[in-house]
Formats: sequence, structure tokens, C-alpha cells
Amino acid sequence: MTATSYEQTFPRPRRSLVPAWALHWGTWLLVVALIVGPLVPLLYASLRDRPLYEAGGVLTVQPYRELFGDSAFWHAWGNTLAFASLTTLMAVLGGALVAILVTRTDIAGRKTLGRLILLPILLPSLGMVLGWLVIWGPGGYLTAMFNDRLHLPTLPIDTIPGMALVEATRLLPIAYLTCQAALSRADSSLEDAARSAGARPVRVLSNITIPMLRPALLNAATLIFTLSIAALGIPLLLGTSNNIVFVSSYLYNTWTNATTPDPGSVSAGAVMMLLVATALLVLRNRLLGAEARFVSVGGKSGRQALLRLRSARWPLTGLVAFYLVFTTLVPIIGLALMSVVVVLTPLVAPWELLTSAHWQVLLDDDTFRRSIRNSAVIALVGALLTTAFVALATLVAHRSGFRFRRTLPFLMLYPRATPGIIIGIGFFWAYLITGAFGDYMRGSIWGIMLAFCVRNLPLAYIVMYPTLARIGEELDRAGRAAGAGWWRTSRSIVLPLLKPALFASFILMFVEIINDYDPAVFLVKPGTEVMGATMLAQFIQGTVGPVSALAMVQVVITVVVLSIGAKLFKIGVSGGEHGA
Amino acid sequence: MPEIHVRNIVKEFGDQRALDDVSFDVAEGELFTLLGPSGCGKSTTLMSIAGFQHPEAGRIAVGDDTFFDAVAKIAVPAEQRNLGIVFQSYAVWPHLTVFGNLAFPLKVRKLRRDAIRARVRQVLELVEMLPYEQRYPHQLSGGQQQRVALARALVYSPSVLLLDEPFSNLDAKLRERARAWVKELQGTLGLTTIFVTHDQDEALSMSDRVAVMSAGEVQQIGTPEEIYRRPANRFVAEFVGRVNLIDGLVSGSGGGGVVVDVAGSSHQLTVNDGAGVSGSVTIAVRPEAVTVMRLDDRSVDGMNTWEAEVETVAFLGDHYEYDVKAGPLALTVQSSRRVEGDRIRVHIPPDACAVVE
Repeated sequence: MTATSYEQTFPRPRRSLVPAWALHWGTWLLVVALIVGPLVPLLYASLRDRPLYEAGGVLTVQPYRELFGDSAFWHAWGNTLAFASLTTLMAVLGGALVAILVTRTDIAGRKTLGRLILLPILLPSLGMVLGWLVIWGPGGYLTAMFNDRLHLPTLPIDTIPGMALVEATRLLPIAYLTCQAALSRADSSLEDAARSAGARPVRVLSNITIPMLRPALLNAATLIFTLSIAALGIPLLLGTSNNIVFVSSYLYNTWTNATTPDPGSVSAGAVMMLLVATALLVLRNRLLGAEARFVSVGGKSGRQALLRLRSARWPLTGLVAFYLVFTTLVPIIGLALMSVVVVLTPLVAPWELLTSAHWQVLLDDDTFRRSIRNSAVIALVGALLTTAFVALATLVAHRSGFRFRRTLPFLMLYPRATPGIIIGIGFFWAYLITGAFGDYMRGSIWGIMLAFCVRNLPLAYIVMYPTLARIGEELDRAGRAAGAGWWRTSRSIVLPLLKPALFASFILMFVEIINDYDPAVFLVKPGTEVMGATMLAQFIQGTVGPVSALAMVQVVITVVVLSIGAKLFKIGVSGGEHGA
Repeated sequence: MPEIHVRNIVKEFGDQRALDDVSFDVAEGELFTLLGPSGCGKSTTLMSIAGFQHPEAGRIAVGDDTFFDAVAKIAVPAEQRNLGIVFQSYAVWPHLTVFGNLAFPLKVRKLRRDAIRARVRQVLELVEMLPYEQRYPHQLSGGQQQRVALARALVYSPSVLLLDEPFSNLDAKLRERARAWVKELQGTLGLTTIFVTHDQDEALSMSDRVAVMSAGEVQQIGTPEEIYRRPANRFVAEFVGRVNLIDGLVSGSGGGGVVVDVAGSSHQLTVNDGAGVSGSVTIAVRPEAVTVMRLDDRSVDGMNTWEAEVETVAFLGDHYEYDVKAGPLALTVQSSRRVEGDRIRVHIPPDACAVVE
């Protein structure tokens, strides 16, 4: 071909109808509105002498004075801190131990154990608490069996240490993931160097491997502490019988039993919790910065030599398997049994008490039926919307020249530290003061969906960001150079390459939203029930069988959706937590 | 193919001044190279022209189109500049076939389907990649991906072509072939091209003109011969090729040059460069410009000819490399001749000397 036939003029690419800057600003404003939006009315409500919907209020610190004057509130803080500290201690030690065993030793079935250990964080938390209760609770199946038949003591789970144990089993995967990521990042030649210097394997573990984990442990501890402060299901389900109240359940009880509706002291308490959670988040960001200093430099380590456990191999494998069976499998079996028997008791064989009545309730009772349908719709639509929106916001945060892009990662991670009930109260006030829009949201399932989406969107970001970071920036620059604007480049080049992460995010969001409950407890109304909130409300009224059946519905949906996700898109959950 | 004007570009990253008053012009159809070590600002300059970075000051224009003007507050977005770029990583979109990669810029320009088809095939033929039209990038070798990247940059007849270290990911053999091929294509199509590289061989062999950059500043602009033979300063002399640097004091002048007393020795060096310079100077002499001969060889005599001690001789296939000492003066010499003996004579032609400081 000659130069003359190459010469051709083409029309210049036209500018897109919506300019990129408008898209960037719109996305940013929406992120701010969704995440900061609900917190502003909350703060305002805590500083007024009457609810926001009543005219003529004045600014006052009266709600705080009321709250701080209540000794029960301080007592609840004491309980909460004791619970959170114990939970953190157990979860971090357990998670680190399992991470070391799975990544650094020749424990049997390493891969399977590594995958199963993650299950508790994905399973419905409220349902799992219920499972614990029917098996290990006072009068629970195994408790009765151990105490009465075998005359062996069991750990009472309706005490603070017991509740901490239950919560620790749920949050242990976070510590596991953080430590596992740190361990697989670390260069194993550091350990090899110690070996060649004459150190025995166990010595290497204690002098090199574990000290290297220190930043990961601190990081996981802060997150687990933050999350356990917010626990609501545990104090409500396990603490009530012994009258152990946490801050979250204190606020819940005050709200639901208040003589005057919507008391300002609840908002004040929520603001206080929010401050604590925010302080912990800031602390955690500092720690994450410190963690970078511990990253060992050097070529990517190849196959890591595994520490041989020798005679301890099978006992340790047995210990981890035992842990998995008793903390995950047994509560689920308990739930399943509870949902099909009249009473769960070791005195009578379960098959003599079989009944389909509990499941029949799910089909017949309007509240239960609606809860399942609403939850399914909310989870499906919410997961789609969250994934799409977080994808857009992540692109603005990391692939645009937008002026405030650097604020987006912090904003998007913020709800991770915000207790669910606070998001619930925040949206409650936000809907109350936003006129027709708020009225519509309050009266429909979409109001609850929005709260769930905001609460869970940090996880979508955590899933998407690492994949985006691996997509070279020259790929989108090539798109821009070819004449495509920001949005066209994002749509045609970056988003298609991000597809696996988008699917993973959708699956994760679906599971999280269908199992979520605490942001909804202040938002549900007859007609807008969701599974988790219905379970909580019905259990408090003393209904156990149908609630177990509903929890089983959650468990089954979770397991099915996760396995479909894993099969179709090869989704691995590993490492998902360490960028948070 | 229009010309490119870059005027007084300043770019800062925090406190760091990445570009300091960078100016140059690229003539129509010229292959112009930005050469320098990493971090010298060459890529920042290229990305400023492409529109991916906005300088703090200066002006960038292609033909009559002003792309950037800090004073007039003009900053045309990258997608409106109609430039072709080949990136260091090639940035061939992995989820699209070769055809899809080339069709994208044309789709953005709203061409009809059959027009896209015809044009893509025409350009693929130009880069000899037509048989690979339906392949995905991961099914192509590095050299083939590079051709696709180039074809994609050419398919919409951009006004200028920008190449950002396009050969650095190819192995040595393939790199030489690719250089020759790109140079030929550029010449045939008469593309105004800016080429960024840190490889001096690449810069010298391909360019019409070279701008040597260091620390955000343009050190010298000239043809490859000018850059090599008459480096403007010590940095250029040392960065482009190997060089002997001889310090001394100007002791006389005349005949369009100077005479220099070599520091620390009794040697005098006559230099056909630097008329009018005085005081202390540094002279650059390329190793291959120095002549070596046996001690009893008197074919060259007189000025700039000294006895020297041979310290080491290395055989490098097509030439020998000598490290010699003429008194206190250490010189590296390249010669195709093997000269026997521990003591030899060296001669530095006055024309081969350049005053660099």
C-alpha cells in the first residue's frame, strides 16, 4: 500500500451528550448524599428537644444529658466493651492460628479447611445465633445432653464470655483472611534465611513468621472490635434471659419501649456509637499505613516450604475440623432440626416429634411470606444497583481526573465501620425530613433496600478495587487517544475487563443483603418486612420453630447462591478483606 | 501531517519540577526523538502532548490547533486531539479481537460498518497482520501485538503519531527489525512522529532529530550526528555513547579552535572547536575517534600525538578496546586494529574534539 491510499480523513469524534465532569460530580454527590446524608439528620435529631417531624423545636443538649444520666447506658457500655474485647481476642488468636496452620504447615486438607473456615462470615448471622441458641443455649439440645445425661459442664452462651465466643466464631474469618494475605505476601526466603542460620522450624515460626504478622493482627483486631461493638442479634437473642444489655440493644429497647415516640436520647446514643466507630476506623487507616512498612521486599516467592507437623499433624487437623463441626455445622443442623420438630429435646428422639407446621407457617402466614418475597426482591435489585453504582464510583475514584476523587475510597469504606442500627436510625430520620420522597421510601421496601445497599457497599468496593488496580491504565488511555470520551472508554474497555469482579460483587451483595437485618429494625412496617427483621421480631415474641425455618431459608439461599457463584465465575473469597 | 510546537512547558508534581521550560518544534513528516534516562521528563512531555497530563504553564499546538495554553486556559481533552499513540505496554485491549481493537476508534467516529471493515483491513494489510484479524491479543506474540498497537494508532489517520518506548518489551533481535520497519513505515506515510526512548542506539538510528533531556530540561536538540559529535554539555556527551572527558586550561587560540593544557600533565591538546572560549574547559573525545599505532610507527606525528602505556586490551569481536595511560591521562580507545606492545602511540584528531564545558 502506498502513502496516498493510506491518507484518508475521518470525522472528528463527537463529544458525548453528558460531559464527563457532570458524570463525575453526579456520582460524587450521590456517594456523599448516601453515606453522609443519613448521618446529618441523626446528628441534628440528637440535638433537638423533640423529634424532627414536630415543628418548633430548639437546639439543646438535653438528649445527651438524659442519656448520660442513665446508669443503664453506662452499664451497657461496660458490657459492650467487655464483649468486644473478648470477641476480638478469641477471633484474632483463632484466625491467626488457622491461617498459620493452613498456609505454613502440612496440615491435612489445607485447601478445604481454608475454604470452609470462611463460611461463618457469609452465613446469615442472625440465623447462626439462633442455631447456637437451640443447640448450646440454656435448655439447648446438646447443653441438656451434656449436663443431664453426661453430667458434663458446658459454656453457658447467655453470659458475656459465651456471647463473645459466638460472635468470635462469626468474625474469625476476618482475622484468618488478613493473616493469610499477609503470610502469602511475605517472602518465604526470610524464613529460609532463618533455617540456614540454624533455626529449627518451630523456632522460625515463633521468631520470624509470627512477628511478621503483627501489623495484620492489629489491623484485623481493630476491624473485629469495631464490628463486634455493633452486634445487635447476640444481645437481643442471647442476652435477654440474663438481662445483659449492650449499647445496641439498649438503643433498640429504648426506641421500641419508649413512651414518647422516637426519643432523642436514642439518636444521641447512636451518635456516640458512631464517634467510637469512626475513631476506630481512623485508627485502622493509620495501622494500614504502618503495615506497608512490614511488607517484605524481594522477588515473589515461589513455592513455600511447608513446616512439617509430624506427629502433631493429625491432632491439629482434628482440632480444626472439630472447631468447624461444632461452630458451623452443628448450629446449622440444629436450625434444620428445630424447623421440623415440635420441640427439640434430648429426652425424645427427634423423629418422633416431626412436624411440618413450622414450614407451613412460612407458606400460610402473610408476614413470613411477604418477608421472603421482599427480601428476595430487595437482594436482587439491591445487589444489581449496588454493583453498578459502586463500579461507577470506583472508576471515578481511580480512573478519572476528578478533583475530589481521593475522597471516594474513604467515603465508600466508611459504612463498614458504621453499626447497622445507626444506618437504620439515620435513614429513618432522613426519610422523615425529605417530604414526598421520604414518605414513599418509608412506605415501601425500597427505603429498606437503600439502607441495606449503603450498609454493604464497602464490600462491593473491596471486591472491585484490586481487580481494577490490575487493569493497566494505558488500556484506558489508549481508548481516550482513540477518540472515546471518559464514559465511552469506561463502558467499552474498563467495565468489560472488570466483569469477573462485577459478578463477584453481585453475588456477595446478594448474600449480604438477603441476610442483613439490623439497619431494617427501625424501618420495617407492616407490608415491608424482610426476613432478618421478621426473625428478630418473631423470636422476641417467642416464636422459635417458624423462625428457624426462615433462618434455614436464608442458609439454603446463601449456600446455593455462593456455590453457583463459585462454579460460574470461579469466585474466591480469599484476600477480599485485607484491602478494607 | 502538520508540525508540532511545544513552548515553555512547566509541569510540577508536588514540589518536584518534572518539566522545566521545555520547548521544541517538530517539522512536518519528521521523526523527532525525546531521549533521556528514566525520570528525565520525556514521558511526561509526551503525555502532556497527548492530553493525559496538564502542565502548569506553556503552550502545545499541532498545526493550527492549540491543544494546550496555560494563559488562554485551553486544554483540549485527550479524546479530542486526534493523535495516535503506541504505549510501552502496547495496551492492546485483551477482550477484543485484532479487528475489534482497530474498529473501536472508527466506531467512535461513527463510520458505517462496511467502511470500518474496509479501513481496518487496509491498515492491517499495511502492518502485515491481516491473517490475524480474528485473533485475540493473548494469541499473539509481543512483536505482533506491537504491530496491532501501531495499526490501531494509525487506523483513523491521526494528525501525529506518538511512540512511548514501543520497543522496550521486545527481545534484542526483534527490536532491531521492528525499528527498521517502523522507520520505513513512518517515512512512507510521512507521519510527523514523536518518539520517546532511553536507548541511545534507538534514538541515533531512527531519528531525524533528537532532543536529549535530563532533569526536566532539554539539554540539546540536533541531528543524531550533531548530538554524537558535538555534544553541547557533559551530560549529553556521557549519556549518548561512550566518551573520554579531558579537563584542561585554554592556553591559546586560533584557526577556529583552541589549544588546551591538559590538567596534571605536560600534554597540549589542539581542538578544532570552541573558538573564543577561555579558562578551564572539558573536552569530549569518542573512544573510536582516537588512533592507536605502534611506538615506531611515525605515519602520524606532531600535534595531539603522545606515547601511552597499555593497561588492558579486550577483544570484543568487531573491535579491540584499549585502556591506556598517556602520562596521568587515562583514555579508552576503540580500534579495529590490534597493536602489539606495552607501549604504543595514541593520536587524537583535532576535529574529533568537542568542548563541552
